[in-house]
Amino acid sequence: MIQEVYTLTIRELKKWLSRRGTFVVSLITPLFWLGLFGKSLNFAQMFAPTNIPPQYSSLISKYVDQQLLNLFGTTSYFTYLASGMLVVFGFFQSVFGGTNLVFEKRLGYLNRLLMTPTPRSGIFLSKVFGTLIRILFYETVLILIAWGLGIKFKPGLTVVNILLAGIAIIFVAIGFVSIFAAIAFNVDNVEIMFAIVNLINLPLMFASSALFPLKQMPSWLQEVAKFNPITYAADIVRYNLVGTPISNYLLSWIILIVISITLFVIGMLVSINAMEKA
Amino acid sequence: MKQMETAIEVKDLTKKYGNFVAVDHINFTINKGEIFSLLGPNGAGKTTTIGMLSTIKRPTEGDAYILGYSIVKQKYYVRKIIGVSPQDLTADDELSGYENVLIMAKLFGYKGKEAEDRSEWALKFMDLWDSAFRRVREYSGGMRRRLEIAMSIVHNPSVIFLDEPTVGLDVQSRRHIWELVRELKKNGTTVLLTTHYMEEAEALSDRVAIIDHGKIIAIGTPDELKAKIKGDRIYILVKENDQLNEIINKINDIIPNSAIKIDNQILVKTESSSELLPQLIKILSGYDVVELKVVKPNLEEVFLELTGRELREEEGGFDRFKYMRVTRGARR
Repeated sequence: MIQEVYTLTIRELKKWLSRRGTFVVSLITPLFWLGLFGKSLNFAQMFAPTNIPPQYSSLISKYVDQQLLNLFGTTSYFTYLASGMLVVFGFFQSVFGGTNLVFEKRLGYLNRLLMTPTPRSGIFLSKVFGTLIRILFYETVLILIAWGLGIKFKPGLTVVNILLAGIAIIFVAIGFVSIFAAIAFNVDNVEIMFAIVNLINLPLMFASSALFPLKQMPSWLQEVAKFNPITYAADIVRYNLVGTPISNYLLSWIILIVISITLFVIGMLVSINAMEKA
Repeated sequence: MKQMETAIEVKDLTKKYGNFVAVDHINFTINKGEIFSLLGPNGAGKTTTIGMLSTIKRPTEGDAYILGYSIVKQKYYVRKIIGVSPQDLTADDELSGYENVLIMAKLFGYKGKEAEDRSEWALKFMDLWDSAFRRVREYSGGMRRRLEIAMSIVHNPSVIFLDEPTVGLDVQSRRHIWELVRELKKNGTTVLLTTHYMEEAEALSDRVAIIDHGKIIAIGTPDELKAKIKGDRIYILVKENDQLNEIINKINDIIPNSAIKIDNQILVKTESSSELLPQLIKILSGYDVVELKVVKPNLEEVFLELTGRELREEEGGFDRFKYMRVTRGARR
């Protein structure tokens, strides 16, 4: 079992490394988010006092900063967005990690695997591990880029903080790669698969605290966001990297892990079932 | 004579998709060390049969035993002793041929040096060692097919399934694969091959089962099957299609019920073409004949005799010339 999972995970990674193009392209989207959206939505700049007597100007600046701090927990929206994007990017990559199974099915590779004695769970797990390793690599690059673009880490940031943030992202990824692998095992048509991906992707991203704080949302959306693991992961990442206060740190972890493990178990059972039935 | 041992025993194997019966209660037995072909047109149920025998499709009814292991109840054991080369090209084209084969070796439980040795053996066996470390993307069609087989034999399976192993290949590559399949047989491997090329079935097989619409309609050695048609076949292609019936009537006046129309050609069945030909030429002298062809019995004709249809009609209709263009276009 271990040898099979290891072999297939290495295969995933080899394929990934040999496609240098995809590697760069995958980084372009988050870069755009960070560079264009994050940098141009500079609220402090938008409300910066101009043509106002200096005695009021500093007061207004102070007021705007105070408001931003209330809202985002930091005076820099870029910092808020960048920390949320780390989670969103992990989420997107996990979705595509699961989705590319549809192609392996179409190419007949999955059938070839199924004709070998490889345990069915091993086929599923290698997909999960391959995706997680890719995500860890991308996240490292992304955090360096965010740092270069001026994310304001909390004072006294430690390696433990970074690791905890990484683990939170991994949990989100485990949940979603499992679910999307399960969907991919049951869908033969590439177009239908991508329709499903689009249907789920964007709403999940927006119905979370990744891009905007929950308290800014209409109440119904807040309710939806409370079931979204991305919300909890984003809060945990922000707490660790930026120092944004969090209402209940431990509870956030518990909810995140429970949702994630549930999705993983469901995903694995559905996937194995799909492989066995045919 | 040595007692034949059974490698594969298929019993009432059936696969239904809703109301559509893809494979309909087929029965056959394959002896150890035999090359056995399932010959039939596309859509006859060959790939579905292979899918069931290789444990990835669950039979609706019936069962099959591979070296005694049930494909329904003992899937895991079956998977260990079979090698399957599917119709699809499944190798990763971003990886090298060697990497592809090595992955399969490891999935079959070989470790470290042993896995490497097995992979080297499989690639050498399939004449691919010279290009083993090139990316599969750079392989020709024939090399890719051979790589698929290399991936399937790396664990030295007792039984190997080859699903259309030469589809779309040129004559030379096809011959090469045939030779290698014969080598496999020499090693004692039992080969189950599916094909819709009658030349392939005839050249390779010890025995052939002709399959159509999910049913096996004939089974035997190529010679036994060819003995089912007596005499020769004459095909006549004329320029004006509306003259076909007129010609058919004239031929049937000489030998009753010998000529029929198939698509745009006339087919004449005769015990002896040498006796009939002079008379035919007399009849045809008044018409613009494009082609007159005498065909000795072959599996293609057996299929036609049994089903009333051409083996290859899915690919190019009855138009043999179009068929040749199609295959030539695929040779690259």
